[in-house]
Amino acid sequence: MTVISHELLEAASNQLPQDALTPIRKAALSQFAKTGFPTTKDEDWKYTNLGAAIELSNRALADESASVAQPTWTADAKRAIDEILENIDANWIIVANGVTALETLSKAEFLESRGVHIWKLSSGRGDSAIISDDPMTSFNAALLRDGLRVSIRPSAYEAKPLGFLFIDNTQNGRLSQARLIIDVEAEAEVDIIEAHISVGSDLHFENTVVQLRVANNAKVGYVRLQDKASSHILVGKLIAELQKDAVLDYGSFDLGGALVRNDVSVDIVEPGASVKMNGLYLAGGKQHIDNHTRVDHRVGPAVSKEEFRGILNGRARCIFNGKAIVHKGADGTDAEQSNHNLLLSKTAEVDTKPELEIYADDVKCAHGATVGQLDTSALFYIRSRGLDQEEATQLLTRAFAGRILSAAPILATHEYIARKTDKALDALIDGSTT
Amino acid sequence: MLEIKNLNATVGDTPILKGLTLNVNEGEVHAIMGPNGSGKSTLAQVIAGHEDYEVTDGTVRYDGKDLLELAPEERAREGVFLGFQYPVEIPGVNNAYLLKAAINAKRRHNGETEIDAFEFLQIAREKMKDLDMDPAFLNRGVNEGFSGGEKKRNEILQLTLLEPRLAILDETDSGLDIDALKAVAKGVNAMRSPERAIILVTHYQRLLDYVEPDFVHVLSEGRIARSGDKSLALELEEKGYEWVREAAGT
Repeated sequence: MTVISHELLEAASNQLPQDALTPIRKAALSQFAKTGFPTTKDEDWKYTNLGAAIELSNRALADESASVAQPTWTADAKRAIDEILENIDANWIIVANGVTALETLSKAEFLESRGVHIWKLSSGRGDSAIISDDPMTSFNAALLRDGLRVSIRPSAYEAKPLGFLFIDNTQNGRLSQARLIIDVEAEAEVDIIEAHISVGSDLHFENTVVQLRVANNAKVGYVRLQDKASSHILVGKLIAELQKDAVLDYGSFDLGGALVRNDVSVDIVEPGASVKMNGLYLAGGKQHIDNHTRVDHRVGPAVSKEEFRGILNGRARCIFNGKAIVHKGADGTDAEQSNHNLLLSKTAEVDTKPELEIYADDVKCAHGATVGQLDTSALFYIRSRGLDQEEATQLLTRAFAGRILSAAPILATHEYIARKTDKALDALIDGSTT
Repeated sequence: MLEIKNLNATVGDTPILKGLTLNVNEGEVHAIMGPNGSGKSTLAQVIAGHEDYEVTDGTVRYDGKDLLELAPEERAREGVFLGFQYPVEIPGVNNAYLLKAAINAKRRHNGETEIDAFEFLQIAREKMKDLDMDPAFLNRGVNEGFSGGEKKRNEILQLTLLEPRLAILDETDSGLDIDALKAVAKGVNAMRSPERAIILVTHYQRLLDYVEPDFVHVLSEGRIARSGDKSLALELEEKGYEWVREAAGT
């Protein structure tokens, strides 16, 4: 079994600048030393082996500094950034290899005037939230050069979504840790985009943690778009807390990457909150995409509705684990989860597990999962109208995927995501996805 | 136009068609009747090219070509149309999109220019009016949430838009109320032409009151037991299918 070298990790952590984060990195290091990386023996990591990420981390820690202070842009990185910026109208903050790009800090000044406050974690405010007992979060904190704290004031009146573009370029290092802590204050409304892209054919490992607090009566639309290069690993986590009558509308799209783990954890701590989660994952070749979601209904009434869909081809492996825990006394909970998968090849594999744990009495809960092939009667019907097998397959897979996009928030992202999804589906169908 | 000789077909290991022979010429309307399980729908599916049906013997020639060699989509582009007994619901695939794609697939095949969305809508709305269909159906998923009658009307809409040379309508009359039946019959009658052949597969004589066939065939045990003109349908209605079986000695 591959294990991380703690000596290398400590050395890399110590190399980072002495600032307000230094004691936090130290605490995270000792926390991480207790656990190390999760292994397939952990129930939550049963199907996802981080061996390649650990090996890569050891090599990167041995011969690179943990992260560069300011990344340089290559032509293809610029192109990749421009593609997003030109196609999704948002206020973008660019996080390159885990570090906020200086160029985009002027955007922060603009946003400041509109009730959106952004500051660096190294400036020393609000850092108690950085550490947790989750191994990947500790690893992130131990190697964190810096991160961003964002506060959306109730008076925020910027209509455009707030976009965080995580771009990794292997030329700037093969290991990235990024951290965002977003506080949506009471009554505030905001749309947030979390986009992950990358360039470079070398191996790369991004480990990102986003913490989101949605305060009383605040509303958040949240779109996660993952379209990373085919040799890149992403372990990402969204930890959300919903307070009284808070609303979180979440949509997730996995279109790229080699090995991707997406953890979403939603904690409903006060009554009246509602969360909607929709997700789509496309995987072909040898891609491995693992979505783990968890909703803790600590109080009721509250609503959680979740639907994830996957389309797999080649030897792809996908995992869906959706857990809803209805804690004691959380009466009036309405929880629903479903996961549907379309397998285009016999060698693709999906492990799906919607889970309900119910400790309250007055609840409405439902879950279901399906794994299947394209409906042959629908295929024949379409072909009998003159469309060939490939067009029919394309139509049916697009229709299958389209349900998730049409349910997703933030209209400003839809056209681009639809286009990228169609493109990824075409590659998936003709088998060119690696 | 269509020459079927000694057609034998199985589903799984079960033989359904056992030596069926039938000739259909341009301009003719044929009704194929028969009891449940006699092979009517199998015949329709085999002509359209459904892969669940295996042809074990015999030939099907369409305009002199070996129809069985062609993929379902090639048959469609060559002008063969099957109106489904159970039209498939395809959620998420827009009805208008499929109809326009179907028309253009055929036009491309014929070397004609494709029609654009505007032209399509104009033609579709006009045809829908004739069929007493709400244009809103265009924007729904294919057959998604349609009632039985709406699905059948949608099949006839496709028939009138695709203008096939050979149309096989598989129990298009089943499950229709009298108004829907009349609308469907009107659509079918409007399609009668000297260049086009229509095969009506039906269990009941009812549709034939509205669409008058040139020939009536009665299918029994996978082959044609009796052929005649429209009076055969009336006779059948009166005497029941048992009579044909006895007369055919099966």
